[in-house]
Amino acid sequence: MDKKKKQLKRKVMIAAACAGVLVVLALLSGVIAPNDPYATNAALIRKGPSAAYLFGTDNLGRCVLSRVLVGARTTIAATFILVAISFVIGILVGMLCGFYGGIVDEVMMRIADLMLAFPQMVVAIAVAGILGGGLGGAMIALGITMWTSFARLARSHTLSIKNEPYIQAARLLGKSGPRILLIHIMPNILEPVLINALTQIGTTMIGISGLSFLGLGVVAPQAEWGSMINEARAYIQIAPWAVLFPAAATVITIIVFNYLGDAVMEYRKADQ
Amino acid sequence: MTEMKADIMQMNRQPVLSGSNLNKTYHSGGRTVHPLQNVSFEVCPGEILGIVGESGSGKSTLLRVISGLECPDSGVLTYKGFHYHGYGPEKTGKFLQMIFQNAYGSFDPRMTMERSLREGSGADRQEILRMICEVGLTEDLLERKPRHLSGGQCQRMSIARALLTHAQILLCDEITSALDVTTQAQVIKLLTEVRAAEDVSIILVSHDLALVSMICDRIMVMQDGYIVDQGKTEDVINAPSDYYTRKLLNSIISV
Repeated sequence: MDKKKKQLKRKVMIAAACAGVLVVLALLSGVIAPNDPYATNAALIRKGPSAAYLFGTDNLGRCVLSRVLVGARTTIAATFILVAISFVIGILVGMLCGFYGGIVDEVMMRIADLMLAFPQMVVAIAVAGILGGGLGGAMIALGITMWTSFARLARSHTLSIKNEPYIQAARLLGKSGPRILLIHIMPNILEPVLINALTQIGTTMIGISGLSFLGLGVVAPQAEWGSMINEARAYIQIAPWAVLFPAAATVITIIVFNYLGDAVMEYRKADQ
Repeated sequence: MTEMKADIMQMNRQPVLSGSNLNKTYHSGGRTVHPLQNVSFEVCPGEILGIVGESGSGKSTLLRVISGLECPDSGVLTYKGFHYHGYGPEKTGKFLQMIFQNAYGSFDPRMTMERSLREGSGADRQEILRMICEVGLTEDLLERKPRHLSGGQCQRMSIARALLTHAQILLCDEITSALDVTTQAQVIKLLTEVRAAEDVSIILVSHDLALVSMICDRIMVMQDGYIVDQGKTEDVINAPSDYYTRKLLNSIISV
C-alpha cells in the first residue's frame, strides 16, 4: 500500500510540476515572447517555422510562438478565474442548501437540475450568443452551468456530515449555523470540492477555447488559442503550423490539468 | 432547625430535569414509527438515571429530544421548573451536554483536541489543562487529532469538553459500547467520580443492564417507545414489575 501511495504521490508531483511550468510560462509570456504578438508584417505572411520564428507566422505575419505564449495567459487566466468564481458560488450555495434545507434548497437544486438537463456547451453557446462576443460574455456563459456541479457536490458532502456527532456537539456547545458552516463544515468538504475544481480546469479550457473558436469568445486581434485556431483554419493547407501549435498547446494543457486532477483524486482515495 | 434542614433536603430532591408525556413520531417510507409514547421522567440533582432497552426502544430518541436536537411532537420538558420545550441545542447546551457513542465522531477530525475543547467551551489553556487532568489525561494529547487517540482517551476528552461548559446534566448515549471491557470500567469509574466532584446529574443510556445497575441510582426500562418499568436500581433489579424487565434480567443471567 505504501509503495502504491508513493507511486501516486510521484504522479501528483509530476503532474503538478508540469502544470506549474505551464502557469509560469503563461505568467511570464509578456517577457519571454520573442516578438510582439500583435505586430503584423506583410513580408512575413505564412512563413514556416524557422530560427527567428520557431512556430512560424500567421496570415498577417504575426509570430505564432508569441501569440501562443500570450494566448496561454488569456486562456489559463480566464479558466482559473472562471473555475474559482464557480467554485466559490457553488460551495456557498451547496453548503447553505445542504445545511439549512427547506424551500431555498428545493428552488436552488431544481435550478441546478434544469442547468444540468442541457449539455453545458449548448447552454454556453446560447448564452454567449445572447451576450455577444467577448471573453467576459464567454465566461458568464460557461459559469451559468458550471457552479451547479460544485453546488451539488458541496451539498451532498454537507448533507453527509451535518448529522455527524461533532456537528451536533458543536450545536450543543452553542455554535451558530454560520459558524458551524465556516469552522466545521467548510474545511471538511473543501478537499473533495477542490479536487473536483481541478478536474474541471480541462473542461473549462475546452469551453473557453471552443467558444472563441466559434467566434463567441475572445475578439480579434486578442491572442487566444481557440480564436487562433479559428482564424488559421481557413488556410490550414497552406500554413498548417498556424493551427497545429495553438491546437497542440490546448491539448497539452488540457491533458496536464486532467492528469493532475485524476492524480490528486487517486492519491486521496488511496490515502483514505 | 430540623424543619429548615428538611426543607433544604426537600429542595435538593426537586428534579433538575423532567419530562412529561413526551411523544415523538417518525414517518419514513410509508411507515410510521413511535419511538416515544407518553414518556415521563425526572432526574434529581446529582443523580444517575439509567435508561435501558433493546435497540429501537426509543432510548436514544429520548436523549435527542431532551437535548433539543429533536423536538417532541407533544409533552413538556422542564429544567429546574423552567419549560424549555422547543428550544434548540444552542440554548439547551447552556445546562446540558451530550456524550456520544461514537467518541471519534464527536470531534472535528481536522482539529487538534485543544482547539476542539477551546472552540467548544471558550475555556483558556489553564482551565483545559485542569480539566483533562481531572479526567485522567495528559497534556501531550491536546496536540493530537482525534484519530491519534484511543477510544477511551477520546471518550474522556468528550467528558472533559462537556464539563468545561459547566453543564448541570450529562446525557451519555451508549458511551461504553464501542470500548473494550477494561476501558469501559475506567470510563464508568470516571463518570461516578465526575458526578461526585462536579455535582452533575447524569442520564446514562445503555442496552447493558448489568453495567447500568452498577452505577445508576434509578433505572428506567423502555420498550417500543414506552417506559415499562422504572424505580430505584435495587427495586428494578430485585423485583422487576414488568415481564420485559424480567426478560432482560434473565438474559444477563443466562449470558
